Amino acid sequence: MDQENRVFGNEEALPAEGAALPFGETAGSLTAAAPVRPHRKRRVDQEEIWGTALAAIPLIGFFLFGFIPLMMAFVMGFMDFSEAYGWSFDGAVLCGFDNFIFVLTDPQFWQAVLNTLIFGISTLISLVLALIIAYLLTRDVKGLAVWRIIFFVPYVCSTIALTLMWKEMFNPAWGIINQILGNTDLANGAINWTGEPTAFYCMVIIMSVWSGMGYGILLYSAALTNVDQSTVEAATIDGAGPFRIFFCVVLPTISPTTFYLLITGIIGLLQSFATTFTLGSSLTTQSLTIVYYMYNYMMAYDLGVAGAAAWVLAIFILIVTLIQFIGSKRWVKYD
Amino acid sequence: MTEICNVVSEQPVSSLSQEHMERERRAYEERRKGKMRNRKVRAAAAKTIIYAILALYAAVIIFPFLVVITTSLKTYQDATHIPFQWIPEMGFTGVNYKTVFDYNPQMNAEMSSIIQGFVNTLLYIIPPTVIGLFTSSISAYAFSKLRFRAKNVMYAILLGTMMIPGMIMMAPQLSIYDMIGWIDTPLPLMIPGMFGAAACVFFMRQYYVGIPDSIIEAAKIDGLGFLGIFFRIMVPLSVPALLAQGLLGFIGGYNDFMGPLLYLGPAELQTLQLALRTLSSTFGKEPNVVMAACIVALVPMLIVYFVCQKFFINGIIAGGLKD
Repeated sequence: MDQENRVFGNEEALPAEGAALPFGETAGSLTAAAPVRPHRKRRVDQEEIWGTALAAIPLIGFFLFGFIPLMMAFVMGFMDFSEAYGWSFDGAVLCGFDNFIFVLTDPQFWQAVLNTLIFGISTLISLVLALIIAYLLTRDVKGLAVWRIIFFVPYVCSTIALTLMWKEMFNPAWGIINQILGNTDLANGAINWTGEPTAFYCMVIIMSVWSGMGYGILLYSAALTNVDQSTVEAATIDGAGPFRIFFCVVLPTISPTTFYLLITGIIGLLQSFATTFTLGSSLTTQSLTIVYYMYNYMMAYDLGVAGAAAWVLAIFILIVTLIQFIGSKRWVKYD
Repeated sequence: MTEICNVVSEQPVSSLSQEHMERERRAYEERRKGKMRNRKVRAAAAKTIIYAILALYAAVIIFPFLVVITTSLKTYQDATHIPFQWIPEMGFTGVNYKTVFDYNPQMNAEMSSIIQGFVNTLLYIIPPTVIGLFTSSISAYAFSKLRFRAKNVMYAILLGTMMIPGMIMMAPQLSIYDMIGWIDTPLPLMIPGMFGAAACVFFMRQYYVGIPDSIIEAAKIDGLGFLGIFFRIMVPLSVPALLAQGLLGFIGGYNDFMGPLLYLGPAELQTLQLALRTLSSTFGKEPNVVMAACIVALVPMLIVYFVCQKFFINGIIAGGLKD
């Protein structure tokens, strides 16, 4: 990408001279003769206008619906909305770091962070399982397309519908999972998935792994087909066994994909909301996520606390991204 | 080398040692065959294990759907029956689906809430998906094929916006939309998307960079303008990529929950996902009805997925492999 931009950069500097352009004959023949120059210049100007205008459309959208809210979010965290009317800024007053202090000393907020981290176990599990399945798919199995289609189904399904489905299957009294486990008698030690904290965490993790693996499988299997076969053969000749090959040749080659999946997985996780919101169990403490926490305060018209929590969330995401970027220099192999 | 060979072959060999050699050779061949057979057996075993694991995982994926389908076709007594029955005692019934399609919490509404939700969802997501696809791709065309001074800076900013997690802007967006009177209208779900999405621009740009510049130079000589080049050359050449991105946008919009939840209060404005949630809390004690509603909500997207899976899967792979 860089390479290509640099080529364009050169070209921008050159057209007035009409000399050696990267795109050989065509561009050269357009600009070689002196009389053509003014014509060429006019066209470049038009290109400048059209290019800037067309490229600006998404940026204008971002400015209106992204940048302005972002700046407002920054202000919001420092404002007290208790006197404000509805969600508007009328009547809101500056209050310094009060909201941040409130959020950071609120045990509920830290509970939400803890819950998010526990749910995060699912990201790691689904990463490992997705890699295994994707690796098996590269061992020239028949019907690759069919396997892929099946494995990817959960990705296109709505979170709400999937959550309701799983909630029904995890129903402690008659759900099929407790029936498979052979105990549906709650009074007699059956697992109370929606009522007991540890079981609840397990339920959410199982659901997330089930619905999140498809994406990983797809990206991993694409990455695995790009693994250089000659390196694998060389390793085989050198006497490396299948496990050695996997850990020393394949795994380093696909590390960019792992890195990408980890980042998107963790960022998605920090923003998770719909699953536990829909579960709506009696375990309000355990189903709280950071976004759920923000949602509660937004619905209570306390935008100050929601804004402060948003900033804390943003800082978490920034830290995660930075750690991974620094870490990636050590163990991600781009070539 | 040849000399040595000659020496070896010319050496007189006794019949005994010849016999011995013959036996050795046979034994060796036997062993080799055995090894080959072993290897074949082992390969076959590995294949079987691989297929077994894949089939197991496929079963894990499909199993919940089967459970939900049978449950949605049961009466309440059968749905909560222990042990679980694949074929219910009282037979299959379609009555739950009738309940779902008749469910209408406001008696004055024209349509049942699920159908209303479905219609609303389509109305809300098709215009931004189509227009957003157009703006994203035309801007991707500018980023890939036009020359202008601010290009690199603008592209860097655009990519930077992808790093910002959307949830941070949730509260201020709510406040802005409240100020300009967009709350309880579908506008917050529609208008921002019409400006195109950074991820989509990125993906389409990657695609357009691959289209050779010679085609574009030729079109310029033939007198096509910048828009002409986009519509006559870039769009026809990128139909699969456009479809993939359009599908992704469509599925994302269809399954969106947070946006509608925040911005759409009145029941007649609700999307399918919201209707599903309302219905599930009303019929919280009747799993058979809730499961029928889930199936109703899932089926349209599953049909789209199975029909377009090729574009879809390729789109995901291409979109995920950034650089």
